[in-house]
Amino acid sequence: MMTQESIPAAPQARTPFEFKSAAHLLFIERQRACNIDELGEGLRSCSEESIFQHTFRTLEEHHFIKEGFSNDFAQWAYIELREVGLGERLASLDVREFTSLVTLRSRIIGIVEEFASANPKARARSAVAPFYFCSSRTIVLPMHRTASNLDEFIDCLRMVSPHSLHYHFIEARLRRKLESNDFSIWLDRDLGLKREASLLNEIDIYTSTLEGVRRKIIQILENSPQHRRH
Amino acid sequence: MDEMRHSTERVAEARPTATTNQETEASGQGQLRARKKPRISDMPPAPPPAPRLAEYEPIIGTFQLDELRFLAKPLVGKRAKMVNSTALGGGVAEMLNRLVPLLDELGVKTNWEVITGGNDFFDVTKAFHNALHGADITLTQQARDVFLSTTEQNRQRIKFEEEFIVIHDPQPAGLITSREGSAARWVWRCHIDLSHPNPDVWNFLRPMVESYDAAVFSSPAFAHSLGIPQALFYPCIDPLSEKNKDLDESYVQQVCDNFGIDRSRPIVTQISRFDRLKDPVGVIRASKMARKYVDCQLVLAGGGAADDPEGAVVLKEVHEAAGDDPDIIILDLPPWSALEINALQRASTIVLQKSLKEGFGLTVTEALWKGKPTIASAVGGIPTQVIDRQTGVLVNSVEGCAYQIRYLLTHPEFGAQLGRNGREHVKENFLMTTNARRWLLLFRILTGLIT
Repeated sequence: MMTQESIPAAPQARTPFEFKSAAHLLFIERQRACNIDELGEGLRSCSEESIFQHTFRTLEEHHFIKEGFSNDFAQWAYIELREVGLGERLASLDVREFTSLVTLRSRIIGIVEEFASANPKARARSAVAPFYFCSSRTIVLPMHRTASNLDEFIDCLRMVSPHSLHYHFIEARLRRKLESNDFSIWLDRDLGLKREASLLNEIDIYTSTLEGVRRKIIQILENSPQHRRH
Repeated sequence: MDEMRHSTERVAEARPTATTNQETEASGQGQLRARKKPRISDMPPAPPPAPRLAEYEPIIGTFQLDELRFLAKPLVGKRAKMVNSTALGGGVAEMLNRLVPLLDELGVKTNWEVITGGNDFFDVTKAFHNALHGADITLTQQARDVFLSTTEQNRQRIKFEEEFIVIHDPQPAGLITSREGSAARWVWRCHIDLSHPNPDVWNFLRPMVESYDAAVFSSPAFAHSLGIPQALFYPCIDPLSEKNKDLDESYVQQVCDNFGIDRSRPIVTQISRFDRLKDPVGVIRASKMARKYVDCQLVLAGGGAADDPEGAVVLKEVHEAAGDDPDIIILDLPPWSALEINALQRASTIVLQKSLKEGFGLTVTEALWKGKPTIASAVGGIPTQVIDRQTGVLVNSVEGCAYQIRYLLTHPEFGAQLGRNGREHVKENFLMTTNARRWLLLFRILTGLIT
């Protein structure tokens, strides 16, 4: 049996991980939609901040929901437009497959246009309530918390807010233009934990709450050979 | 169980507006052993001191509190002024009572100023308020003159030396003329629904509003097309206020005992003033339909009957609809019954808000915060809070409401899940600390302090 003293020191990262967070403020845009055609028009003319708000950001606002919530467009199609087929297709969008808002916008427009072409009678059907386009302005917050090895990283992960988790784990791909996240990139590059980095990218954010995501990340990292505090 | 405990008649006798605690003790003896009259003062109590920032830590967590402080850091030393039309009563004053000390503690020295005016001014602004909600009024030259001259008097009286000036609602909106030559950022915070304003009144106010740097609305549906940025701030509740703070279980039990509510049976509650738009009679019908299948008591608690003639008429209709049903408990409470309302919400198995029309619906926010399965109408700001079958259940009819009461009473695990999600939704989006966060963000964005 190993004593506390005999446990080798945890490998130190080449550069520490600096935890940040993001604060967002919502602005009401001029576009609004009362039917599918107007939704299409709004999607074409709204700002990228608006696409961000109704997809990436709304996932953060509803981080406590385990299933059944994907993005605002899908929610509106289900609840207000009562178009289940459109709602299902929009809900199947996984924001993690997109590293740019331009491609995400094109994909959403494509889904709406395909549905409208296949269901011409649905095009002008009025929604119960309009879709109001909003946008999000973001301020990144340095939290002055850093981790230099895996144990410190896990300790910080237990404490950080859902906003910080979302910033590093989900929003990161837009910033980095990579299909990965800040945690995986650091774990691989600075601690050599390639397998764990890859496992983190396999976590399904649409069938978990953000707290669930946090637990899964910690679980994966606690199973790492670099984890010292069992 | 003493069946008399649920007598509507005797609950009405226990109305706090009519009795003092002294009278209660004297007259209550021998009449109802199990149910004392509720101990609600006949005078509004002094408001408790505003909580310190650190008191929110157990609720929102250390990290989120740190986020607030980091957000405030570049603003430390700057000053803000909030201006509204009343220091007491109403949601805006209630909110400012908590927001001002919070911003102050975060380093943004915040002053709160209340405009003054004669009855003629407040008659005009009351008419403006109704007109902005769509009422058909004729805007006379005299009304314009009264509005502008009172605005000018306040402009002379109030100093605007701060970096951020926030004007709440239409009454003080004309103070924007004071901005000339000042580098301050001016924000108009509109708490009312501007979606269908009376054109005369709106055309009068609009140039003033468009002179601000930004406007803030409570819902995208309440906003109006304007030439300035429009931010979205949801209304919020204070988790440490008397209406929302945690209560001792013994106090909740005491309130239920006082009101004759049996906690061994399911309790379905709607808290709202006696107003037809809250559909209290529809709630009674829904509960009667549901009770063919499930056992429950209905508690309808609210106010508005004492000082509002229409409220008294509605209360009478509610009593008539309830008849002598012992399981319908009607409570007409004074405005300072926050603790009692808190206790009633906490004692409830399900909370209803079956409004026909609604602003944001802060009673829904309160119920969600207490983790209660909530059934609410899909009107006004309610769908923002109640995401159907995720944070609560939305309904559109008496029948739908009745069915959902039956469903939630027979599926408590589903109700518990809704309650957990509902509380998280409020924690993330509708708490006073989130409101402070939004103000700090807006101040930073307006001054370009975004990095």
